[in-house]
Amino acid sequence: MDATILAQGALNGVMLGLSYALVALGLSLIFGIMRIVNFAHGEMFMLGGYITYYLFGVYGINYFATLMTAVFIIGLLGMILEKAIFRPLTNRPEVALTSLIAAVGLAWVFQMLAVIFFGEQDKDIPTVFKGIIRLGGLMITWERFAAILIGIGLVLLLNLFLLKTKFGKAIRAVAEDKEAAALQGIQVARISSLSFGIGSGLAAAAGAIIAPIFIVSPSMGGEVILKAFLVVILGGMGSIPGAMLGGLVLGFLESYGGLFFSVPVMSVITFILIILILIVRPQGLLGRE
Amino acid sequence: MKYISYAGLLLLLFFIPFISRQEYMIHILCLIGINVIFACSLNAILNIGELNLAQSAFMGIGAYASTVMVMRLHLSFWIAMPLAMLVTSIVSLLIGFLTLRFKGAYFLLFTFLFAELMRVLLSNFGVGLFGGIPGLTNIPKPSIHIGNLVNVDFSSKVAFYYLIVSLVVFTIIVLRRVDKSRIGMIFTAIRQSDVLVESIGISTMKFKILGCAIGCLFAGLSGSLYAHFVGIITPGDFAIHSVFAPIAYVVVGGIGNVFGPVIGTAALMMLSNFFLRQFGFFELLLYGIIIVLIIRFMPEGIINAPRLLFSRMRKS
Repeated sequence: MDATILAQGALNGVMLGLSYALVALGLSLIFGIMRIVNFAHGEMFMLGGYITYYLFGVYGINYFATLMTAVFIIGLLGMILEKAIFRPLTNRPEVALTSLIAAVGLAWVFQMLAVIFFGEQDKDIPTVFKGIIRLGGLMITWERFAAILIGIGLVLLLNLFLLKTKFGKAIRAVAEDKEAAALQGIQVARISSLSFGIGSGLAAAAGAIIAPIFIVSPSMGGEVILKAFLVVILGGMGSIPGAMLGGLVLGFLESYGGLFFSVPVMSVITFILIILILIVRPQGLLGRE
Repeated sequence: MKYISYAGLLLLLFFIPFISRQEYMIHILCLIGINVIFACSLNAILNIGELNLAQSAFMGIGAYASTVMVMRLHLSFWIAMPLAMLVTSIVSLLIGFLTLRFKGAYFLLFTFLFAELMRVLLSNFGVGLFGGIPGLTNIPKPSIHIGNLVNVDFSSKVAFYYLIVSLVVFTIIVLRRVDKSRIGMIFTAIRQSDVLVESIGISTMKFKILGCAIGCLFAGLSGSLYAHFVGIITPGDFAIHSVFAPIAYVVVGGIGNVFGPVIGTAALMMLSNFFLRQFGFFELLLYGIIIVLIIRFMPEGIINAPRLLFSRMRKS
């Protein structure tokens, strides 16, 4: 195995890992605030992909404007879902079970709507950033390099938002202790709506980044939510560095695993690996007790 | 009064083949019966507070175990069926031991992975035994021959119908017995607050594994019946998407109540088979919408709706 293939694999791993991390960060954010696992989160990723397909691919609108629109629309959708479905559930007993069922139902609704409105066939989006960068024997397409850059930029932005702004601090306070935050005068309802919106927007951004590189299909959300879950489990629920690390581990596993093992063997390996990790470190690699 | 209505229902079920000799009608009723057993098993896991997305994978284990025993080992269906139930339950015991230490979304993720794993394993490994992606076909129908006295061939739909009805009744009786026992009460307590149950010194993990194993017995039963009734099984039949409609059945009927899944399955499957068949994807969309709406506005399911309505009326 020569060095170029290994390096190429590493780059693909970073790119995949970043997109998984973006979806996982949103999932983790929502869980941190509302203690519910939004199984429909992957569908936000899928819808972000479709918005990119229509606005950028079909109508030829500027790529960055498309990305922003996708984040905005899906963020709004997330806030609506939070208000209409999830928040009322959190006031009732057995919230873990009922919210999980509601989210699974929602995921299904969005998938079926996508099949009905967008069709079952995969959609191809034209390349956004054309050209190739050569570094010695290594060849990177601009497209993948840009995806990595945008991904890193978004994670940094989120980090800045959570650490420096008033809303970011409020989100962290609610995640830490809901009652104590409420006593400080933080409006918990508004914060949970906001984090649902931001989380969903991040998933849509990941969809808009990944869509031009691969394809858009109604089932892409279901596939990515699995990966995002794995990332969250690997990295630890609620930890941003953890999500980044988990994303990279999974990205590398996938990009190198594909070189050495067949798909069935890989899925067996993943299953066993995840169980082992969880038994040894149930809180994830970087999560707290 | 209660027993009279049970008896009336059983009589109705007994006489349906005499009233309507339509093959299609009997066929649908058989499928409803199989799905009722499956929904009951799904409900048994929901009863311990966990959503198991791999329940149809367990149904698949039952179906494959039963079929392999009948077709490859040439066992009788009547031995293979209980053995298939046991095999399913034992597999669930092992999986439960590994995964039930995790709760909620973590458990859900494992069941998601396990469902995928089963599909991949059945499609790619042991092709000689399991038939790979095309699956197994020409699965024989069961029959009973005791001397010259009893000769029942279950290749007739009506005979199979009676077999399924009696097994549905068996399932309900067993699960109701469990539900009314001390163990059943502990299951309900775990669903409502596992921390509280732990605090009085009961190992929730042990009871969760037990609940899972009991539920999966019947997943195995429904799988075995499905295989021999339909006559063809493929790994895709038991993939992750096939668990969604049954989740809707249980949620609509009412989680936790033994009769909930029965009513939910019957109502939704009748609706789907006699009215919605022609809508294709819209039917699935409708199931999703129904799940969300019922969980949001009527989390107790339709079985408890009249009681709740009644108590609300009395209050006002």
